[in-house]
Amino acid sequence: MSDMWLPEDQDPRTQGNPQGEKATYVEYLANYRLTLRMKCDGLSPEQLATRSVPPSTLSLLGLVRHMARVEHNWFQRTAQATGEDRLYWSAEDDDLDFNGVEPTQACVDDAFASWQREIRKAEEWLAGVAESDLGRELPIAGHPDDVVSLRDLVVHMIEEYARHCGHADLLRECIDGRTGQ
Amino acid sequence: MSAPEPSAPPTNELDSIRRWLADLRASVERKSDGLSPEQLAARSVPPSSLSVLGLVRHLAQMEHFWFVKTLSRSDEPQLYVEDGDWDAQFRGAVADQAVVDDAFATWRSVQARADEVLDHLDASDLNFVWDPEDRIGSVRDVLLQVVYEYSRHCGHLDLLREAIDGRTGE
Repeated sequence: MSDMWLPEDQDPRTQGNPQGEKATYVEYLANYRLTLRMKCDGLSPEQLATRSVPPSTLSLLGLVRHMARVEHNWFQRTAQATGEDRLYWSAEDDDLDFNGVEPTQACVDDAFASWQREIRKAEEWLAGVAESDLGRELPIAGHPDDVVSLRDLVVHMIEEYARHCGHADLLRECIDGRTGQ
Repeated sequence: MSAPEPSAPPTNELDSIRRWLADLRASVERKSDGLSPEQLAARSVPPSSLSVLGLVRHLAQMEHFWFVKTLSRSDEPQLYVEDGDWDAQFRGAVADQAVVDDAFATWRSVQARADEVLDHLDASDLNFVWDPEDRIGSVRDVLLQVVYEYSRHCGHLDLLREAIDGRTGE
């Protein structure tokens, strides 16, 4: 894991030495969203849908659908109390994000479009949050007795992306041998 | 996967980071719990050379690098990386009880040193940058890097452990 995914001059991720708490979170989130996207680069729908580390049911395409759902759950349903249903979820199958993956271009296009849309919406909302407001607490969507601070919500998203990038590292290596941070 | 700790008390930034770090260390403990030296050393997701034991050694090295060498400016040699041989931390993770005992003891003792460093930080230190030209960034950046490293490696541990004995979960 000491090697990088791309040569430095082609890597879209930034190392801007951001100043301040919120700016640091924003850079981390942007970089790890990019990392998951890069781990999916150059693969066919079949490869993206492959459960390449059995017995795990995870696939790269499942992770993209899952992160669309997670972005929506925290940045829309919780942060903005939109009252919307979860994405890629049904009452019969809580793991529809992973279980509903199909090895088709249509499934891939839908997943990436949803994910990028949710990222844009999340970025818009976060841009309007004041640094001094990061300690404010909100009820958690679906768990009205529990609260989360804006700070913990954003750090949780960074941690969530990082953990799933760890899954993506091994899923990708088992597909075509490619590794790198 | 995991949700933020429900009904957590109001926190400041440092408390928040420390709670995330404690959760992640506990996650590594659970992922390695109840495994034999052979299972801990197994390369259970080939072709990857990662193992649970290799990652425990690496996490000890990682915490030592950021908390001791970087934040405390100690010039101690890096753990498990001799003469710049990065892969030694993973390659040396062999199925031997002494190697297992050493890895976990080292990891826990580094955690204690890291916690001492954290005890001496306060909110006003977080914006501190040693050298704007340096890639290291602010103290805050270092702490988030540690949380990020733990999380990514917990992702590796999830799949390594499931491939060993089918066990899943946070």
